[in-house]
Amino acid sequence: MGDLTPADKKGIGNLDDPGLPFDYSEREYGTVPIDETRARFQWVSEVAYKNVHRIVARGYDTTELVEEGYGVTDVLFVDFQARIPTVEEDQMLNYVMIMALEDGLSAPAVMSRLVAQSKTFLTQACGASIHAFGHAYGAYSAFGNRLLDELKAGRAKGLDIDAIAQGIVEVNLDDESLGVSDLMLKDPAAKRMIERARKLGVAGEYVELMTAIVEKAGAASDTPVDIDMLGTIGSVMMDLGFTAEATWAILAVTRSFAAGAHFIEEIERADYRRLGQVLTPPEMYDGHPDRPVPPLAERDALAKSALSADLDEWATGQEERKSVWGSGYSIDEEIEDPSKKTGIKSVGKKL
Amino acid sequence: MHRRPDIERKTSISYKTEEKTVLRGYNLSDLAEEGYSFTDAMFVLFQNRIPTQKEEKMLRYEMGVFLEHSMSPSAAGAIGVSVGRPNLTSAIAASISTFGGVHGPGAAHGYMMKKYLKQAHEEGKTIDEIAKVLVDDYMDNGTPVMGMGQPQHTDSDPRAEPIHLKQEELGLNGVYLKLQRAVEKYFHARRKKEGRGYVGVNVVGAGNTALCDIGFAPNAAWCIGSVSRGFSCAAHALFNMKRGRAWAASKSEPMVQMLDLSMIKYVGPPDRKVPKQSERQEYARKQKEEGEYKKWVI
Repeated sequence: MGDLTPADKKGIGNLDDPGLPFDYSEREYGTVPIDETRARFQWVSEVAYKNVHRIVARGYDTTELVEEGYGVTDVLFVDFQARIPTVEEDQMLNYVMIMALEDGLSAPAVMSRLVAQSKTFLTQACGASIHAFGHAYGAYSAFGNRLLDELKAGRAKGLDIDAIAQGIVEVNLDDESLGVSDLMLKDPAAKRMIERARKLGVAGEYVELMTAIVEKAGAASDTPVDIDMLGTIGSVMMDLGFTAEATWAILAVTRSFAAGAHFIEEIERADYRRLGQVLTPPEMYDGHPDRPVPPLAERDALAKSALSADLDEWATGQEERKSVWGSGYSIDEEIEDPSKKTGIKSVGKKL
Repeated sequence: MHRRPDIERKTSISYKTEEKTVLRGYNLSDLAEEGYSFTDAMFVLFQNRIPTQKEEKMLRYEMGVFLEHSMSPSAAGAIGVSVGRPNLTSAIAASISTFGGVHGPGAAHGYMMKKYLKQAHEEGKTIDEIAKVLVDDYMDNGTPVMGMGQPQHTDSDPRAEPIHLKQEELGLNGVYLKLQRAVEKYFHARRKKEGRGYVGVNVVGAGNTALCDIGFAPNAAWCIGSVSRGFSCAAHALFNMKRGRAWAASKSEPMVQMLDLSMIKYVGPPDRKVPKQSERQEYARKQKEEGEYKKWVI
């Protein structure tokens, strides 16, 4: 290592090209010596530490916590908020987590079961189920941050809750993360949770804002809508002091317990799948009809390059390629616009 | 044996019968038998077409150069997961999941280029003109220009400029490379004018540009790059599983291990007494009222 001369490294591909902004052959081999001018790496944390004798979260010894009668939901407050919750807050979090635990054969359970079919560790299935929580399903981050941002911006403008809610509904009526939909019209669970939060005295500004959003959305929608589980759970969790991201994390992990049960049942009641076992019948396929593979020797005569030489050609190509499902050309992600400082997060959006 | 798929979906990507598997109309076996490469198959998968030889060469180069990057977030993720000794695949999955907003953000760079190319087309600007707009937009706002700079390769990413050269050598300098080169020109000029040091193009700025010019949409390009890295992360995880210590906290190893207790530096609330349950309500209310906890909320 490190004993090659520049002459040994000449003549490789384009690496001697004068167009390179550096002389590639002069570049060093060998690892970089340890930087002694700075402190060595450590895992820096505000959340917890441990030593040989104790594990301490936010200043509280975790063994002492549980010995004193605190439990898992209390420790969630400690970890994410660095505080002990009131009895009512703890009761509410228990209520929320019970309601978030199971949702039938929706995405997290299905993902867990699909992983289970491959005969692998249960933990892989539980981990996969957490990936089901995105910005549409279980969109606690998108939901909560919108409420947080709109409340802040609205207050800065001197708007009341009604006006802030109206503004949110006007822009987001059909958004998957609004928290209002037709999903819970026959199921009182969402509304019952709001009532429980009020009864326990833990409902605050987010529940108030959400209630106003439901009212405005009901008036704006052509079809019946009401608060759904996202709107209920998201607003109650934020009134409990959890950030949008903490809410997202806690509820995704909560569901992962159920995903573990689905993994187990899948193994108990179904068979493992072998590579090549599952067929995709042609009637499910609507892509290019069967075609012969062109002879390799003729590829350049037959293949059409994707290269666009100018902007007109580029714009035409962008439109044409939208017809190829699975290519990605029909997806346009919003990126943060630096010129306007919009702060839009990239979450993926269909054209 | 149950052979029906678990989900009912129309798909234009592939079908599979007892006799064959067909990708975008091509029998996979025929593709392989004819001598097409794995990289050719990427074009069929994402673009529904056979590429030209030059396009295939470009992708082969890009995937090869992006595959290994020693200690990056992806490899660190794989190694971190592997010390718990789950199945190897969990470590690989974690490594691919590390690709996000700042580690190999290929999709975001692609969408940035698309956005400005579209703007140029709509406003009748040249690619060179829009490149200056892009650079000024980002730099005026104090936002890093995507595709520029790499925290480890501070003297220019060894992969990036050669990718540009390869693309030019192959005659694949389309609108994306024209834009990227122009972005670099204005970026370098502005930094120089402001008396700031040289920051080279990174592998996303170069590699993703090449992938876009050979027809991959931003998300397809991101998939190709990130998943390619999964191969090498599997090697890093496997090395640690076969040659390293599980748990990474052994005191008998000559080198201090990643999870040795001395590696923990705590900067949170100071040690404090756990309140008695009988005092809990009063304690919790007071804690909430004082609001000191808010500075620790995450």
